[in-house]
Amino acid sequence: MSIHIREATVQDLAAIMLIERECFINDAWPEAMMKDELVAAHTYYLVALEGDEVVGYAGLSKLPGSDQADIQTIATAPTKRGLGIGKQLMFALTAEANARGAKEIFLEVRADNSVAQKLYKVFGFRQIGVRKKYYQPDGVDAFVMKTESLVPPKTEPVVLGIETSCDETGIGIVRGNTLLANIISSSMEQHAIFGGVVPEVAARAHLEALTPVLDEALEKAGISLDEIDAIAVTNGPGLAGALMVGVGAAKALAVATGKPIYAVNHLVGHVGADILDQGKIELPTIALLVSGGHTSLLLVRDLLDDVLLLGETIDDAAGEAFDKVARVLGLRYPGGPEIDRVAKEGNPQAIRFPRGLTLPKDMAEHRYNFSFSGLKTAVARHVELAEFKNEEVPVADVAASFREAVVDVLITKAIAACKDHDVPRLLLGGGVVANSRLRELATEKCKEAGISLRIPALSLCTDNGAMIAALGAQLVMAGRAPSSLDFSAESTLPVTRVQS
Amino acid sequence: MHTASTRIDEYSLAIDTSAGTSVAVLSMGTVLAEVNYLEPMTHSERIGAAIQKVLADAGVRPSQISLVVAGVGPGPFTGLRVGLAAAQFFALGAKADLVAVCSLDAIALDYFQAQPGSKTLLVSTDARRKEVFWASYQGVTSGIPVRVLGPSVNKPEDLGELINLAEHEVTEIVVRAGALGQIAFAQSLTELGPNRDLAPIYLREPDAVPTKPKKVSG
Repeated sequence: MSIHIREATVQDLAAIMLIERECFINDAWPEAMMKDELVAAHTYYLVALEGDEVVGYAGLSKLPGSDQADIQTIATAPTKRGLGIGKQLMFALTAEANARGAKEIFLEVRADNSVAQKLYKVFGFRQIGVRKKYYQPDGVDAFVMKTESLVPPKTEPVVLGIETSCDETGIGIVRGNTLLANIISSSMEQHAIFGGVVPEVAARAHLEALTPVLDEALEKAGISLDEIDAIAVTNGPGLAGALMVGVGAAKALAVATGKPIYAVNHLVGHVGADILDQGKIELPTIALLVSGGHTSLLLVRDLLDDVLLLGETIDDAAGEAFDKVARVLGLRYPGGPEIDRVAKEGNPQAIRFPRGLTLPKDMAEHRYNFSFSGLKTAVARHVELAEFKNEEVPVADVAASFREAVVDVLITKAIAACKDHDVPRLLLGGGVVANSRLRELATEKCKEAGISLRIPALSLCTDNGAMIAALGAQLVMAGRAPSSLDFSAESTLPVTRVQS
Repeated sequence: MHTASTRIDEYSLAIDTSAGTSVAVLSMGTVLAEVNYLEPMTHSERIGAAIQKVLADAGVRPSQISLVVAGVGPGPFTGLRVGLAAAQFFALGAKADLVAVCSLDAIALDYFQAQPGSKTLLVSTDARRKEVFWASYQGVTSGIPVRVLGPSVNKPEDLGELINLAEHEVTEIVVRAGALGQIAFAQSLTELGPNRDLAPIYLREPDAVPTKPKKVSG
């Protein structure tokens, strides 16, 4: 279940008080005091929501004219700890303090709460004093902590983005919402003989490509590393060994240049790519991301704070299905472009291949999920049967009918998501967007349903560093604190964690 | 590939992730600071903070680093690449030179420095899949361990057919970036100069089988 954050209102008071009393047993704030905090002009309170349920909250106080801010409180429901909710709230609060002109942020924390202290240290908080027996009636000391490591918000930061989550080494450079360079080195050719991406081959290629790709990106953008304001890097989801190459490189570059580093989510990067294509992103939007590694349907209400995974593939990614079916048909790798080419000569209605997870019984549980494994097997059976009967395999018809089945399911579910959530926008991303039939059907169905369709340029749809830089730039412009240097490469990073 | 180098580098940063994560700052071949994390799986988490810490401990700014020394293995690939990627991009960011040293050489240097009378050494490290990465050495000349065989990868039980095990001493020493930096410094003083071939020493091909067009069902 995913978490999103929004500003708190007085309607949240009851839910906040429930958590307040659970977390601060002996020294919970009285309800009236909490209410005053929520409505005061100089405060900023957030709630973290799981679905509609409040699972955490946090508040900031910043008096006009002062350059100091205080974290008033922060709490996560006891059953929802360890999900990074506190960290997400802290990202948003420190950003707001920054936006309100604070140079320093103060807070008090119980001396015996080492978990909270550790979280604050991530945001640059250092202990500057002790208030003896501050917490009553428990008689526990308070540590006073302070941070000055706020990034001044920049309107047009120059951000370098590094992407190595699969088989593309991508380095992009943006200035604010403007693309300066987008260099990609692909190891696709090296995977061809294996019929699919081999993680070790991809990781080796990343290491070889890093330096030449960076040099080329800097040259294309016409800037030097000194002019970069921040570095962004994909830390997941993706192939672990491949991700680690980019993460290691990015961290060392950040230390060497003294620039802040932002660890960002690859899938949210795909959504952010549209910013570079049209200078802005219109929200909310449904995003359909389809590649060799992902098939995900997202509801994006806020690029930095509110990305919801509606559904994803439960077996093969769509691009993977194209590769496997291409093999069955004796076509080359990668399968997508090959099937697209052959299908142009075929009849898409010739064979009715199954549409995965579209039957009423599946729709209850898997309304927005995808499955391509059964389709792939159905194609294989069809081909084997033809061979068994010594008939010629109608390659063009099989390719066209298979492609139609994939595209039909993708677009039907995406349109349903738009309608269900009353979101009149659909954004496509990922390498499979290159498929001509996908674009055609999306255009047709969106027009019918009155949905506006966005398809960024293909160079921004496939994996690339520019989209990572763009998302990094959004974080910098929002005044978000940089990531700490010890973040991990996470192959299954959830889409709700935009920044790690 | 060796090329002549006349520059003696003031401060160098050495990085090795062929086993754990080891980072050192040196000045003219003397280790000023070193950090070692022995865990074999946390390279990408550790590397950034480890570099930052070793620079702070040595009191050296990144821009003062004029040489980066990378341990090129052999070692488990995933970890090894983290250090090599970091070395490449630190060198670019700090506008420093970049050279390579075989990670097993660093172990040999530490061994011979601790046991000056020793003559022949077998260095072997875990290569997983019941194999070892290994190399054999005969002493140290001009501060550089003299590698006579390897690096190679073999099953431990096969080593006896490749070298006379009875004549070789063995060691449990783990690779240390400081020793790596010392070797690079010693190499920079020789006529050959340091090694600029940054390619990782993998010694194994990627574990994947080429496919033929085939049936996937049934």
